[in-house]
Amino acid sequence: MLLQLNNIFKWVQQGGQRVFLLKDINLEVEEGEFISIMGPSGSGKSTLLNVIGILDDFNEGEYNFLDEPVHQLKEKHRANLYKQYIGFVFQAYHLIDELTVYENLEMPLLYKKLKGSERKAMVADMLDRFGIVGKKDLFPTQLSGGQQQLVGVARALISKPKLILADEPTGNLNSKQSTEIMELFKELNDDGVTIIQATHSEQNAAYGKRTINLLDGRKI
Amino acid sequence: MLRNYLKIAFRNIWKNKAFSLINIIGLSIGLSAAFVIGAMIYYDLTFDTFHKDGERVYRVVTQFSSPQGNFSNSGITVPLAQALKEKAPNVETVSPFFTNPPYKVENKETDKVFMEPENVIYSTIGHFQIFEYNWVAGDEKSALAHPNEVVLTENRAHIYFPDIPSGEIIGRTLIYNDSVPTTVTGVVENFKNRTDLIFEEFISVNTLGTNGLKGLLGDDGWSSTNNASQLFIKLKPNTDVTALQKQLTALAKEHQDEEMVSFGHGQNFHLQPLSDIHLNPDYGTYDYSRVQASRPVLISLAFVALFLLLLGCINFINLNTAQATQRAKEIGIRKTLGSSRKQLIYQFLGETLILTLAAAIVSIMLSHWLLRFFVDFMPQGVGFGIFKNPVLIVLVIGLLLVLTLLSGFYPALVLSHFKPVSVLKNQILPGNNKGSLRKYLTVFQFAVAQIFIIATLLVGKQLNFLMTKNMGFETDAIAYVRTPYHDRSMDKKLRFMEEIKAIPQINAITLGGNPPASGGTHASAVLYKDGETEIRSDLQLLYGDANYLKLYKLKLLAGRTPLNDTIREYVINKTFMKQLGFEAPEEAVGKLLGEGEYAYPIVGVMDDFYQRSLRTGIEPMALIGDWDRKEYSQFTTLHLSFDPDRAGEWTQNIAKLERAWENTYPDFEFAPKFMDDTIKQFYEQERKTSVLLAWATGLAIAISCLGLLGLVIHTTERRTKEIGIRKILGATLAQLNLLLCKEFLMLVGIAFAIAAPIAWWGMDNWLQDFAYKTELSWWVFVLSGVAMLLIALVIISIRTIATANRNPVKSLRTE
Repeated sequence: MLLQLNNIFKWVQQGGQRVFLLKDINLEVEEGEFISIMGPSGSGKSTLLNVIGILDDFNEGEYNFLDEPVHQLKEKHRANLYKQYIGFVFQAYHLIDELTVYENLEMPLLYKKLKGSERKAMVADMLDRFGIVGKKDLFPTQLSGGQQQLVGVARALISKPKLILADEPTGNLNSKQSTEIMELFKELNDDGVTIIQATHSEQNAAYGKRTINLLDGRKI
Repeated sequence: MLRNYLKIAFRNIWKNKAFSLINIIGLSIGLSAAFVIGAMIYYDLTFDTFHKDGERVYRVVTQFSSPQGNFSNSGITVPLAQALKEKAPNVETVSPFFTNPPYKVENKETDKVFMEPENVIYSTIGHFQIFEYNWVAGDEKSALAHPNEVVLTENRAHIYFPDIPSGEIIGRTLIYNDSVPTTVTGVVENFKNRTDLIFEEFISVNTLGTNGLKGLLGDDGWSSTNNASQLFIKLKPNTDVTALQKQLTALAKEHQDEEMVSFGHGQNFHLQPLSDIHLNPDYGTYDYSRVQASRPVLISLAFVALFLLLLGCINFINLNTAQATQRAKEIGIRKTLGSSRKQLIYQFLGETLILTLAAAIVSIMLSHWLLRFFVDFMPQGVGFGIFKNPVLIVLVIGLLLVLTLLSGFYPALVLSHFKPVSVLKNQILPGNNKGSLRKYLTVFQFAVAQIFIIATLLVGKQLNFLMTKNMGFETDAIAYVRTPYHDRSMDKKLRFMEEIKAIPQINAITLGGNPPASGGTHASAVLYKDGETEIRSDLQLLYGDANYLKLYKLKLLAGRTPLNDTIREYVINKTFMKQLGFEAPEEAVGKLLGEGEYAYPIVGVMDDFYQRSLRTGIEPMALIGDWDRKEYSQFTTLHLSFDPDRAGEWTQNIAKLERAWENTYPDFEFAPKFMDDTIKQFYEQERKTSVLLAWATGLAIAISCLGLLGLVIHTTERRTKEIGIRKILGATLAQLNLLLCKEFLMLVGIAFAIAAPIAWWGMDNWLQDFAYKTELSWWVFVLSGVAMLLIALVIISIRTIATANRNPVKSLRTE
């Protein structure tokens, strides 16, 4: 089993009242799954993804990632977990504007302290695989949205994660670009990468093998 | 990894050109000040540090206490050296020497005459035992054992005996003061390192007893101290200095003059460490050609540098934390991709280091220029070359690292603190608590700038007060010429006077001692007996005649002036008259001062005037004639006043004077002095302080305003949307400007509230040095506060008006 959420609660205090962002979430994810999380705005999709990605805390419940109890781990250890196993794809791409495509792809490898020659090979491999070799010296602002997201996905994949978390990956793209990205996800999943995506769109959700519906922080 | 960091650092610096520029300028102003001041301090601290066992070497100096206050003298009574030799077993070597130079040296072989040689001392071999010289020729053990022997430095030897190798100079003869043939017994190398021991010629001290040099020794009893009589000692290792000091105090007590004690005078000997000599202006050095370094001055300069550096750092911190939100996205991404907080901190510190290095390069160029620009303020010898010294290079690198940490660490902490989730969800809002530290720092900056402004204004005010205060005597169009010290012939003086009298542009002329106000004083203790009561007092003596009073327009309140030049009569000043207990000047006239055969009459009373700089008060004084003309004439100076109507012809007048001088004293340099210049010179230190303060103020204001500008740019940008909304809702330009300025002007106001009392206290302290001082007027404070406020307002408005003018539709749409 890749990860397991048991009775996860997350809330914030607002005007003396608890507002629940996540309420009693239970979820088991096996390796190789492709899960779509659906629900209207504010239903807690992003929050759930952040919790799964160990970027965000929760208030109650247990979370085991590869049999490691995340809720008991220290900050540093957690960082190591997601550095090693998780790749993120964002709706707004979140590439660093001051770095070129090549440098953006190289960054996760830097933090993994890989050697220069290894990094070079891996980045070249990724550029090749995504067909963006010609764009490697351009800055993100010089690319179209679809191309930027392509770089985003490539960056998420470069450190060979077990799990890819995608928060509305096609939210800023037109339909053609969306289809391309979703097809890409499908291919990756076929290669064995576990993917969890949050999405509004039924069409995109259909790429997933399993769909989870959220409403007001609760699974329905 | 490093390359990645460097790349992003450069791209970031390039992208935020304005901010980077402000950062670099702010830091480089502080750094240049630190470089220049640091070079000065380093220079002054490295005098005489090279002597072997230098920490065991002391100069013995004298402290006098009297009812008028305490005085220091770098000399000691002559017998002290012998007493220490006999009674102080802890003193390893005693080196007494005399610094009054001969006026003439002659090399008979070449018939070359050298007038007024400098840096000549009469010393024993002890000097060479305490200070290690390299002997080029001669025997270091026996060189100065006999009278009429001299050791020369290489430099001096090459002047007296050009083109003769050092070894062959030994045994040759120099003739001092026309009558003292002296044999050269040694040649030593000059010190290569920085030193105050600049002596070039060492004549054996027992030469002083011989003919021709008799007068130079002066009084050799326990009661007279002359600063020409100096004493260095070297202690044995591990000597208890306090015990030796006690012994010195006991010696001083044993030999004190009972009569002086009855006048309230006392004296004590002190040990001055070798390392203190360069930095302690109380006792002075031997190098009169350079301005004495002073520890307090160096400390205040160091503080100026420190504050300017701090201001630069604060700018940096303010701007970078203010900018934090712009970097937030990058930080969030880096964190989700696995960067640890530590790595981020290193990254930002690295960026700071790059900016600091850029600032360092700018300031090295700046200080090159500054060192030349401020050459008047520098100890001579401080040049850009001093930075080639490895110690200084290490210090500079250290300073840069400290500066980087100081200015980079806090912003790095703030930046690396961001939580990736909130950043990536765009929830990061410029928090209010982080703003508060920025506010404190801005307040600090402005408080420092404000203190500088107030100090500058008040020092300027005091200087103006000093310069414009009526001294109580005429200072315009008056000059004086000192006749040569070594040629005391009365005939020549009179001849010189006669020649000058013939110059039509000269109004009046008189022969006397010092001018009414001068650096030097001559005082003697007097006793006044009025029946039973005895009044003992120090009386300052001014030598002059009736013409002297007239020339300087000193007012005679009662009585008359002395009948002739040498008659023993006093004309006392009003302060002394009051001290003697007289109400009206007439009462004092006719009374006798002194006892028995030394009692002489008071024949007149003159009005008070300022006898020295206004640092000191008016002291009891008397005008007397040239009483001991036969033995030692005190009338050494010719005073003359120019015709005020024809005073414009300065150069011609001076040229005429010089011609007369050449006729009388062809061997000596002509150096006339003007009275108003003399008074100006009293306040040289204050003038320098004032100029330096003005610069420091300018720089502090510049740095603070740069920082303010940066903050304003940031705030206005952050509030563009708010301004747009307000404008749509009908706010006017003035209202918007007020809204934006209010926040910053408050800070400047708070800074003023903090600065004013500190400045008041500091300036009050500074003014304590002056007997006559300007007021700490409230308007100075108000003026400086308003000035600061106006400067800030201008800086703020540059930006706020532009922002408020922007089209709201545009600003809201881009939002």
